[in-house]
Amino acid sequence: MGKQEITSNQEFPGNTMIEMIKVSRSYPPDIQALSDISFSVKTGEMLFIIGKSGAGKTTLLKLICNMELPTKGLIEVAGYNINMLKGKDLAHLRQKIGVAYQDFKLLSERTVAENIAIAMEVSYKKPRAIRQRVYDLLEQLQLSGKHDTITCELSRGEQQRVALARSVANSPRLILVDEPTGNLDAYTTEKVMDLLNRQNKTGATIVIATHDTSIYESGNKRVLELQDGAIHSLTIRNG
Amino acid sequence: MNFWLAVFRQTGRNLRQTWTSQFMTFLTVSLSVLIFAFFYLIYTNAIGTGDKLRNNLTLVVFLEDDPGPEMQEQFKRKIKNFDTMKSIRFVSSEEAYQRFAEELGENSDVLDDMPRDFLPASFEIVPLKSLSGYNQIKLFSQYLASLPGTEKVQYGQEWVERFHYFTRLLTIVVFLSGTLLILTATFMVAYTIRLTILSRKAELELLKLVGATNSYIRTPFLIEGILQGLMGSVIGLSSLYGLFRWISNHFTGPGILNLFQFNFFSLPVVCIIIFGSILLCSIGSYTSIRKFLLI
Repeated sequence: MGKQEITSNQEFPGNTMIEMIKVSRSYPPDIQALSDISFSVKTGEMLFIIGKSGAGKTTLLKLICNMELPTKGLIEVAGYNINMLKGKDLAHLRQKIGVAYQDFKLLSERTVAENIAIAMEVSYKKPRAIRQRVYDLLEQLQLSGKHDTITCELSRGEQQRVALARSVANSPRLILVDEPTGNLDAYTTEKVMDLLNRQNKTGATIVIATHDTSIYESGNKRVLELQDGAIHSLTIRNG
Repeated sequence: MNFWLAVFRQTGRNLRQTWTSQFMTFLTVSLSVLIFAFFYLIYTNAIGTGDKLRNNLTLVVFLEDDPGPEMQEQFKRKIKNFDTMKSIRFVSSEEAYQRFAEELGENSDVLDDMPRDFLPASFEIVPLKSLSGYNQIKLFSQYLASLPGTEKVQYGQEWVERFHYFTRLLTIVVFLSGTLLILTATFMVAYTIRLTILSRKAELELLKLVGATNSYIRTPFLIEGILQGLMGSVIGLSSLYGLFRWISNHFTGPGILNLFQFNFFSLPVVCIIIFGSILLCSIGSYTSIRKFLLI
């Protein structure tokens, strides 16, 4: 591949959003978190990653968003070797990837609205557009009354939804979600999945790491199961 | 929202979150600028006064005897051999007597019993401006004293010497206060920016993850440094100007201060001090960004 340059308003062409070929990740002294992972995710697909705790789901998501580097193997996102990207190119690609982290990564002293807006501010969206988008997302996630609440005052379930709102705020083309429903009741889980499905229908590719069987049993989606850092199965679950 | 608007919003947040340390840094920079500018102002005025005094410098060479016209010419030639002079004037004993009598005015009768040649003849020499350094004048006076027939050379040696050492001392003080300014501006700003970076580590980490560019993350810290330099120098110089006005207003009338004309800095000098302060604070900010904000 020649020189890779990404601009902030560039769309991702092509059919494949994520390509992983023989990707491994180990941690010192000799912990093998992932070994020889190979799979592809098509643009617009919704993929579920399941597996027991410690199977490597979170590590896999961190590798896709370039939060960590693989020990070996190739990772391409939208045709770009993400580990070769640096500076502005990496920043512009990250603007197109929304991530809801398992530990939320919320700014505890900032308000809910500020936490969600941060993803849009870095891509220089207009203040009015940011305000409108934040209101819409809070409404969709049953958090309308929490607009000006400091995030450290929220419950775990509310924080989880704020993290999810931030991940979709910038209308990214790829959304990575780590345990989106872990702290939620059935009703709120449904709302969260509605939001993700809507994003998926607009063309966003979505990868969800989860333990919650209820969210992937009902659809016609691919499910990748990890076991001890390796792919155990890659199946299509029919609801 | 464009880049600069986003960056200024971010800068505003930084300043709000760490306003106490920002305020302390701002005070330190202001005080450093004030101290430096205070001594520099005295220095520039002293140099200006020195220049004026040197313009009026006259060396008087008292002679042993009243020389004849030929010897006067010989003397003049010898003096010109050292350097070109603005003027060389011969004052005979008779003329010196007349001058003295005029100066005494009504009391000139005290000279009645004195012989009219009791005052020595002399040469009054006004050197050119190029011969203005303390050491040059000293050398010139030594040269004049070495000429045969010279009894004494007078030019207010003691005063010139004291003034020379005073300006040398001021040069050292200005140098030291300049060093203080450099140290406080760069290190205090660097330290404050470092504190800000450390206190906002989680946020900066998140900004990277959501796709903020390096310049989006770094520029607000650089702006903080520029603001510290700008505000610190403006407040420091304004305080000095206030002090200058107060002294000017309260020490008018006869007094030692009126012997010299004190002037405040010219606009270009004010701009240079402000620009220098901004530059130093930016360097402090930049070093912290380079060291602690690894993106």
